[in-house]
Amino acid sequence: MNHLQLVLSGLFVGSFYALVALGYSMVYGIIKLLNFAHGDLYMLGAFAGFIVLSVGAGALGGGFIALIAIMIVAMIATGGFGMLLERVAYRPLRSAPRLSVLITAVGASFALEYGIAVGFGPTPEVYPIGVQDGTLHIANAQITYAQLAMMAIAVTLMVALDTIVRKTRSGRAMRAISQDPKACLLMGVNVDRVISRTFFIGSALAGAAGVMAGAYYGKIDFLMGFIIGLKAFTAAVIGGIGNLRGAVLGAIVLGLLESFGGAYLGSEWRDVFAFCFLILFLTVRPTGLLGERVTERV
Amino acid sequence: MTIIRRGTMAAAVMALGLTLAACGGSLTQDSSGKDDSDTIKLGMLTPLTGSSAAIGPHMKNGARLAVDEINAKGGIDGRKLSLTVEDEACDPKTAAAGAAKLVSSGVRISVGGYCSSATLPTLSIFEKAHIPMIIPAANSADLLSEQRRNVFLINGTGIQQAQAAAKFIKAGNSKGVALIDDNTSYSTDITKRTGDELGLLGVKVADHQSVTAGESDYSGAVNAVLDSKADFVYWTGYYQEGGLLIKQLRAAGYKGRIMVADGSVDGKLIEIAGKNNAQGVLATMTQTPQTIPGGEAWLAKYKKKFGSEPGPYSTQAYDAVRVAAEAVRAAGSTDGQDVIEALEEIDGFEIFSGPLNFTIQHTLSVGGFDILVVKDDDFVLDK
Repeated sequence: MNHLQLVLSGLFVGSFYALVALGYSMVYGIIKLLNFAHGDLYMLGAFAGFIVLSVGAGALGGGFIALIAIMIVAMIATGGFGMLLERVAYRPLRSAPRLSVLITAVGASFALEYGIAVGFGPTPEVYPIGVQDGTLHIANAQITYAQLAMMAIAVTLMVALDTIVRKTRSGRAMRAISQDPKACLLMGVNVDRVISRTFFIGSALAGAAGVMAGAYYGKIDFLMGFIIGLKAFTAAVIGGIGNLRGAVLGAIVLGLLESFGGAYLGSEWRDVFAFCFLILFLTVRPTGLLGERVTERV
Repeated sequence: MTIIRRGTMAAAVMALGLTLAACGGSLTQDSSGKDDSDTIKLGMLTPLTGSSAAIGPHMKNGARLAVDEINAKGGIDGRKLSLTVEDEACDPKTAAAGAAKLVSSGVRISVGGYCSSATLPTLSIFEKAHIPMIIPAANSADLLSEQRRNVFLINGTGIQQAQAAAKFIKAGNSKGVALIDDNTSYSTDITKRTGDELGLLGVKVADHQSVTAGESDYSGAVNAVLDSKADFVYWTGYYQEGGLLIKQLRAAGYKGRIMVADGSVDGKLIEIAGKNNAQGVLATMTQTPQTIPGGEAWLAKYKKKFGSEPGPYSTQAYDAVRVAAEAVRAAGSTDGQDVIEALEEIDGFEIFSGPLNFTIQHTLSVGGFDILVVKDDDFVLDK
């Protein structure tokens, strides 16, 4: 059993989970909404990138610079769509019972999936560029340069997000709203605008992950966001939902759990192992790795 | 929600549709579609939504083609056929609801069924209504376990496919075989039976992996295959995952041979895997118009009518309608019992897989699995 290889695979998959988990966690942290449509924003990002590529593949050429350009366009498009989703589907329900919003999120998820299925057809699309190239051998494990590049992009985005949330005014506003939206409103924070911005950033990250998945794996389809959405949600819970560093940590833990669980127990046991671990872990530490203890207010 | 949708995905891979009924449902525009007893209604359940939604139109068009051809020739004893299509979504609950809808709309014969897991709950619904089922695609052994008399399969079964695969692998002197499935009933059925067959032939099964459909990263399975030193991989799931698996196996440096089962035989597999990676990939597949003499004429007809290439199970759906029509003609009635008897007595009726005779289990007596190989952008017969 090649442990280094398992670690590398786990980290690679984990970096995709992390980008999606961040959006889940941000939205939950700020408005306590489980945005089940979040995985579908990842899918939307992949399709946005696909459209850009199909239209402008000739002008952009192949290669890494083109990928970055496409990713930026797709991130803006997906982010914009995330804002639209919030405005249309979630804002009118902000004071509604939690369950109504949850069901709306499920509805939004279906609407996005089948909207894309109607627009593009249910057959999978194949990205016109691929980024498979040289392989780097480390000891007896291997990782491709494309995988390294993907992980580098993911880390860059995560660091950028961390900086925004911790260092900027609007990051401070986000953190403030997550603690007490009413007080923020009274202090003159434009809560709606900050929430909108949160959706933009979270969706843009998912969109970036979607483009990366499209470029690396090559295949995109309208249901591609479903499983990764679930996994990202799991990662966010492991890390402590609402905590951004926790989401990244949770994603890496989940990636490694899957990688090792699959190798030792057989691939059919991989998810069983990963989710049994989740249950056990939450029994011992219900707030997740980095989640804060919340005292129940009576 | 999780549980329901996961189930949908798992199921999404396998079955075919049910019916060709004539009842003037929204999907049929027959002028004869009014509910008069002169019309023979066929009903088809096929996935129109869900992860296998791409299959539905292929099956629907195949059946449509046969219905129109038969009607153009005057129908059966002067009675026209009509076709009603309902969504099965590869989901047992949706399929059961669709089956009930077909029954209540007066369908006489079912010519659908794609996902085996979704087709399963429809068997008893049609049986109670005395409706024979000619199932074009679903082929899990589970469909036959209750030995319902109204159930006929015109796709090759898992065991026939497993035998064809094992025979081919044995002839290639493989030193170790890795079997990979996607955890659906169709796929695990083939890997399990192929493993048994290989055991009988004395070929070593080096590894057995299961992957989760709908994911993109199969590095776990790929690494396990490389570790096991297998020189032959047999993938029994569907083309979406199959394409990714081939791409990732090749990218990781796997040099051995790769074979896929019939659910993966689709041009998209080659596109997803990348043309270079897919060259030389083998497949076990029932006969298709692309691989049989005289098939070009059928292809041309299909393309002219629908403006698109036929897809997986277009031919089986086409055949299901023809077999249904033949049985009604032979029985001289649309009574369920008469049609079932006529189906059991069919002898040598020509369909794509060869002359049709049903075995006592109501499966094809001749499985008709060929070995195909990817050459350029197509699957062609391996010579």
